[in-house]
Amino acid sequence: MALPLRSRRVPGLLASFVHVDAAADAIRALRARGHRNLVVYTAAPNHEIEEALDHSVSPVRLVTLIGGLTGCAAGFGMTLWMSYDWPVLVGGKPIGSIPPYVVIAFELTILLGALSTVAAVALFSVLMGKRGIAYDPKFSDDQIGVFVPAGGDQAGAVEQMLRSAGAVEVRREAA
Amino acid sequence: MADETTASTLDRRKFLTVLGATTGGGALALSGCSTGKVEKLVPYLVQSEDQIPGLATWYASTCTECSTGCGVHVRTREGRPVKLEGNPEHPVNRGKLCSRGQAALQGLYNPGRVKGPMARNPDGSFQAITWDDAIARLAAKLGEAGSRVAVISGAGRGTFSDLLGDWTAALGGRLVRHETFDREPERAANRQVFGSDQLPLYDLGKARYIVSFGADFLDTWGAPLEQARGFAAAHGFEGGQVAKLVYAAPRMDLTGLNADQWLPIKPGSEAALALAMAQVLVSERGGQPAGLAGALAAYTPALAAEETGVPAATIERLAREFAAARPSLALAGGVAAQHAGATEVCAAVNILNFVAGNIGETVRFGAELPAADGHAALAGLARSMNAGEVGVVLVHDANPVYTQPRATGFADAFRKVGYKVSTSLYLDETAALCDLLLPQHHALERWDDLRPRAGVYSLMQPVLEPVFDTLPAGDILLRVSQKAGGALARFNAPSYEAHLKSRWQALAGELGESDFAAFWHGALQRGGVYREPPAAGAVSLALENAQASYTRPALGGEGEFTFLTYPHPMLYDGRGANKPWLLEIADPVTKISWHSWVEVGPGAARRLDVRDGEILELSTPQGTVEAPVFVYPGIRDDVVAMPLGLGHTAYGAFAEGRGVNPLDLLAAPSGEYVPYLSTRVAVRKTGRYRKLASVAGVARQLGRGIAESIPLAAAQKGLTVEQAYIEAGLGHHEVNTERELEAVHGWAEEQHEATQYGNYEGENPQWAMAIDLAKCTGCNACVTACYAENNIPTVGEEQVLKGREMTWLRIERYWEGGEEPGEPVSARFVPMLCQHCANAPCEPVCPVYAAYHTPDGLNGQVYNRCVGTRYCANNCPYKVRYFNWYKYNERAWPAPLHLQLNPDVTVRARGVMEKCTFCIQRIRGAQNQARLEDRPIRDGEFTTACAQACPSDCIVFGNVRDPSSRVARLAQNPRGYRVLEDLNVRPAITYLAKVLLPAEA
Amino acid sequence: MAVVAPPPVGHGDGHAITQTHADVTRDVVATLSAPSRGYVLLLLGSAAVFLMGLLTFLILVIDGLGHAGYQPPIFWSVYITTFVFWVGIGHAGTLISAILFLFRSPWRTAVYRSTEVMTVFAVMTAALFPIIHIGRQWIFYWLLPYPNQRYLWPNFKSPLIWDVFAISTYFTVSATFLVFGLVPDVAAVRDKVTGWRKTVYGLASVGWQGTDNQWRHYSRAYLYLAALATPLVLSVHSVVSWDFAVSIVPGWHGTIFAPYFVAGAIYSGIGMVLTLIIPLRRALRIEHMITPEYHFDNLAKLTLLTGSILFYAYGMEYFVAWYSGNMFEQTTFYRRAFGPYWWAGWTMIICNAFVSQLLWFRKVRTNLTALFIISIFINVGMWFERFVIIVSSLSNDYVPWAWDQLNPSWADWGILAGSFGWFGMWFLLFAKTFPIVAIQEIKEMIPMPRKRGGHH
Repeated sequence: MALPLRSRRVPGLLASFVHVDAAADAIRALRARGHRNLVVYTAAPNHEIEEALDHSVSPVRLVTLIGGLTGCAAGFGMTLWMSYDWPVLVGGKPIGSIPPYVVIAFELTILLGALSTVAAVALFSVLMGKRGIAYDPKFSDDQIGVFVPAGGDQAGAVEQMLRSAGAVEVRREAA
Repeated sequence: MADETTASTLDRRKFLTVLGATTGGGALALSGCSTGKVEKLVPYLVQSEDQIPGLATWYASTCTECSTGCGVHVRTREGRPVKLEGNPEHPVNRGKLCSRGQAALQGLYNPGRVKGPMARNPDGSFQAITWDDAIARLAAKLGEAGSRVAVISGAGRGTFSDLLGDWTAALGGRLVRHETFDREPERAANRQVFGSDQLPLYDLGKARYIVSFGADFLDTWGAPLEQARGFAAAHGFEGGQVAKLVYAAPRMDLTGLNADQWLPIKPGSEAALALAMAQVLVSERGGQPAGLAGALAAYTPALAAEETGVPAATIERLAREFAAARPSLALAGGVAAQHAGATEVCAAVNILNFVAGNIGETVRFGAELPAADGHAALAGLARSMNAGEVGVVLVHDANPVYTQPRATGFADAFRKVGYKVSTSLYLDETAALCDLLLPQHHALERWDDLRPRAGVYSLMQPVLEPVFDTLPAGDILLRVSQKAGGALARFNAPSYEAHLKSRWQALAGELGESDFAAFWHGALQRGGVYREPPAAGAVSLALENAQASYTRPALGGEGEFTFLTYPHPMLYDGRGANKPWLLEIADPVTKISWHSWVEVGPGAARRLDVRDGEILELSTPQGTVEAPVFVYPGIRDDVVAMPLGLGHTAYGAFAEGRGVNPLDLLAAPSGEYVPYLSTRVAVRKTGRYRKLASVAGVARQLGRGIAESIPLAAAQKGLTVEQAYIEAGLGHHEVNTERELEAVHGWAEEQHEATQYGNYEGENPQWAMAIDLAKCTGCNACVTACYAENNIPTVGEEQVLKGREMTWLRIERYWEGGEEPGEPVSARFVPMLCQHCANAPCEPVCPVYAAYHTPDGLNGQVYNRCVGTRYCANNCPYKVRYFNWYKYNERAWPAPLHLQLNPDVTVRARGVMEKCTFCIQRIRGAQNQARLEDRPIRDGEFTTACAQACPSDCIVFGNVRDPSSRVARLAQNPRGYRVLEDLNVRPAITYLAKVLLPAEA
Repeated sequence: MAVVAPPPVGHGDGHAITQTHADVTRDVVATLSAPSRGYVLLLLGSAAVFLMGLLTFLILVIDGLGHAGYQPPIFWSVYITTFVFWVGIGHAGTLISAILFLFRSPWRTAVYRSTEVMTVFAVMTAALFPIIHIGRQWIFYWLLPYPNQRYLWPNFKSPLIWDVFAISTYFTVSATFLVFGLVPDVAAVRDKVTGWRKTVYGLASVGWQGTDNQWRHYSRAYLYLAALATPLVLSVHSVVSWDFAVSIVPGWHGTIFAPYFVAGAIYSGIGMVLTLIIPLRRALRIEHMITPEYHFDNLAKLTLLTGSILFYAYGMEYFVAWYSGNMFEQTTFYRRAFGPYWWAGWTMIICNAFVSQLLWFRKVRTNLTALFIISIFINVGMWFERFVIIVSSLSNDYVPWAWDQLNPSWADWGILAGSFGWFGMWFLLFAKTFPIVAIQEIKEMIPMPRKRGGHH
């Protein structure tokens, strides 16, 4: 897949925070100012940041559900159809007998459920993710990054605000 | 042709070459490759009248594996014999055939056969020569030898033996008819007691009470198939009766294991017992020739008790029962008739039969059974050989160098003969010493006949082109005669076949048959001519000779044990040892295969502190052998026994160097018998150990009701096995509530409904089997038949040690009692094969449907589909599934043995599971036939190989859905039960419980 | 730049971590440094053992299964025993990574990665055995329901087909779970290393940056995966147990088999976890991340729990055999204790039921030497448990005439050893290639520095 780093750069400011509360403050302030499409980098999920960003629940769960149900249906469908497609009698048991097929259906439920979940994440967070946003390696280490897409005129004000919120570093990213 | 065949491995071209060489394989051969033989072959443009590719052709012939002379039917496919079965019309065996007879096929295709005439070089090696050369050499030697010619031949009587007789006589030589287990002592006793030189026929079928003094009449003595048939009739609960069989011998052989009571008498004391019984009879019944009473007076039960170790009371009871049951029958044979006192034993038994009034009833003279010349003749010959009075010796159908105890010094005497000639098919011990090998045709390759008894003329006909470059023995004689001329010139028949025909023309005349062609073809078709044997010649007690006498056997040697040896049930006197079937299919008594063993009683084993497999050294003044112990509950604690038949020094790759030969221990004979009981033996523990190649796991039923039994009284009342138990207070009814039953049956019904789909809808036949344990004697004939029919590989000793034998059908032998010292021990036999369960546990666990249920109730096994998970075998409660751990299919049939394979049955590859198919190839064959003739299958028009072979007809196969079928009726028999019925696997095999006579003190 | 070191803050249970996010990244990335000689020798060693096993397998394929010590009626022996053994090993990993995740049990974070790796490779090893043990290994794919000209489908009533589905699903899902959890950590490594390694890890991290949006989907998905893996892990060993329980072999045909096997599986798995990470944490110098007082104590408690369940199950088996009044069951269990396989039977009971009871003592639970020795007992004991269940039950079922005993051969031992080589090889390779400790989840545990101090 295309890595974001390779695509067209988005102009804006990239701020690094050491303190989580500072970052959270900054995010709230920016959102209050109408900056909606911020990008926040953290090394691990963080409650304060999540609260500050206040996202809606991920749609992944829906995909998981559909995947699981598909698997279940496939499991019963396949076993029963194959049993009657060429009926062979074994051990005096019914040609198509549900109880043993539950096992197959169950396993396929899990399998397709899991695979569709991962597929969903790949889709939502990488393929459909924003491109060309500036990034700094230390965000995967111990700092929190906040990227504010902002054109030349607003840039000053935003930078001012980020610094006052406690950003240890603010970088301007040109287009 | 011979070279192609011998060189042939199991590749298609060679295979077809050989087919091509055999009559009728023409079309195949043409599609095969060109050989020197091709121009002789007839393409199927001109169909040879008795060959239809893919269909079997049957020829009638005669078995020559022993001197009994049973009739056989040879099943050939594309000109290859693939199976031997009994000839139903033949009066001796009535369609049955024992293991040894069936294995003749492996003698025909044996890799160890002599492939053509050979002469010995000065350096001792053999060199192939032409027949002309060979004939010339023999003729020349005969010329030199003049009358200093000796011929040793088998006991079989017929045109050839007559010719051989005349021929030898013409030379002025001497002919010795030698049979390893000759019955000379019986004949001697008959001369003494009845003034008759004959061997009588014993009609076990009529007997109501049988006492056998060591006669293994079910397996290795007399005419086993005929006797087994009679025994089944007498002892098999037919008409609600069971004739009691008492077996008096120091060791139980197969007959002993089928006895209702075993009297473990001291070795050699049979005469005392028989005479005491006669004495009791005479003294209590009187009415006998007065002199007899006097002659017997001395032999009181007290004396017999002293001699035999059987309580006097038992002897008296025995005598009374014997007298009360009319007619009864007493038999003497086996070891009892092969020791110094043998003639006394046989005489005593004759007297016993006479006083019980059995002569003419169950003992019928007049059949003129062929008898060998007795041992003295051979001993005499050996003496003159030693004396250098024999210039040329010709050995035919005999292997005396092996079958004579070393102590007789026969081999050395034989070596001294100037020119030694053998017609043996194999390089056996005798042939190995010979100077000239003139391999004769196998019985299936030649024209010949046998006269097994008065009124029975049994024909042999060639059923395939000779596998090797051999000649019929008759032609050898005739050609030599022509070459040698002189006294022999008169043997001028163009061929032995012509000679045979001329003899049969004479026979036709005697029998008042005008149209010879019809007579001849009839005989060919029916396997011979069968006339009623002449009315039983009346014999009377030749009183003056009826010396009732008993002398305690004088045994040579030192040591605490008396040594016995006996014919091996599979290998007989050793002639079976080159046939893998007979080596691998376990001895029915000990269940040991492939090697020798020494039997030690449980008490003796405790005393010696030995266990199964511990190697003992047995030594007598004559020699020393080592063999592993088999602790055998069926033998006295003061006796050890070993089977004959192994320890070959020649006789082909299968036999050589396998096991030991107990004959080396025996003392030299001094009379008309080989003394199989003659010496004590010193036993020494070697401290070494070997695993026995035994097919037995745990030989106790552990109360699992596998081989069920029912008391006679209960059976006569028509009780079921369970009812009988309850009556005896040994069980209780499983009481199920209505609800339970309804639940179970309702559920079963639902399940059944759900299976009615596709091919499974509607009424199909349901193949089923019934096995009557009251008749099964455990003789192994069915097992061998199964091997032959289904291309079952023999896996060899090293695999049998890993329990990997492939016996689709095995005979389990469980001990009953005998756990406490002194407690009587008995055996139960149960043939165990795939039960073709309706709810087969093996089927649902197969991931690929390789094991599945056919609409006609068979438990199918698709070899091609099997991936070898072996779950089916784990889940089979009967453990009747067998796995191909190695490429057995490439090892089991070294060329030309592969020619015996049945083309109707897949040869299974490595890595797949296999098991009994209920001979599905026979089922489908019969169904196709019925379809062609547009009719339903008739019950009994075909059957499985095992059922076909069973000498006592204890196996019945058929469609259980057809209420009129035998199997359907037997399935309803009150004695019927299913093994492990509680598992609800619903087997298709119904076993009929063995009927037990009330136990006695 | 000035980074204010945070004061020691506690987990829920008062266990202290005195590390910053930076320390975590540093320490974990340090584990990926150039391999020591010891490591290389170990790796080559396992590879050699694996090749030996491979050779044995080739002989089986070329000449036939006969080389193994199979002795009918024992048609399954060492191979199936080892199969069940490895499947069982896997379960601990999924338990710790998925089930404890759902239970929000904080101590799992430090160890779950290594256990999950163990799971994946153990199942990978186990998956070889059904192929090794069949008679015609080259057509093992006939067990799969693939469309074919003859419309031959597998028999879904057969527990062996259930196995195929259960094992392959289990492998796929746990592998997915592992890789999924790995992505953010690989990204962290990517940002620490240089040169070609950066490129490689860069590709492996599939563009992970830890943006708010990514975390938003990721955390959810991780939760669902855990929720799916939980019933899966319980089902897998139940299905494996049904390979036996569905049959009618006395000693196999038991209703308690599923829970009994699952408990056994987890027990054996944790045994293997201990065997692996006790040396591993020292080798990788992460002792401070995985500590006796905290992580091992908890692992030991889990061992004690499952071990005691086994204790109960063993007892129950014997009780039911006696109470059922079923002569076949009774014989089987009598012979299990006093028959030809008494030694195996008692090995299993002592190693599993009794040894685990030592873990009632905290002294033992926190003593790594003791734990390591116990873990070895557990591995041995659990292998023998399967051996006893399979071999001794088969050796004496319904028809006494067919009874026999097994004599394992070089081919059995060769494959068994080879499987350890195979497993060890992969585990070692992983440990040097990917973070064996979960960076991101540990960071999640460590509060970030705050300007205003205090606690959120």
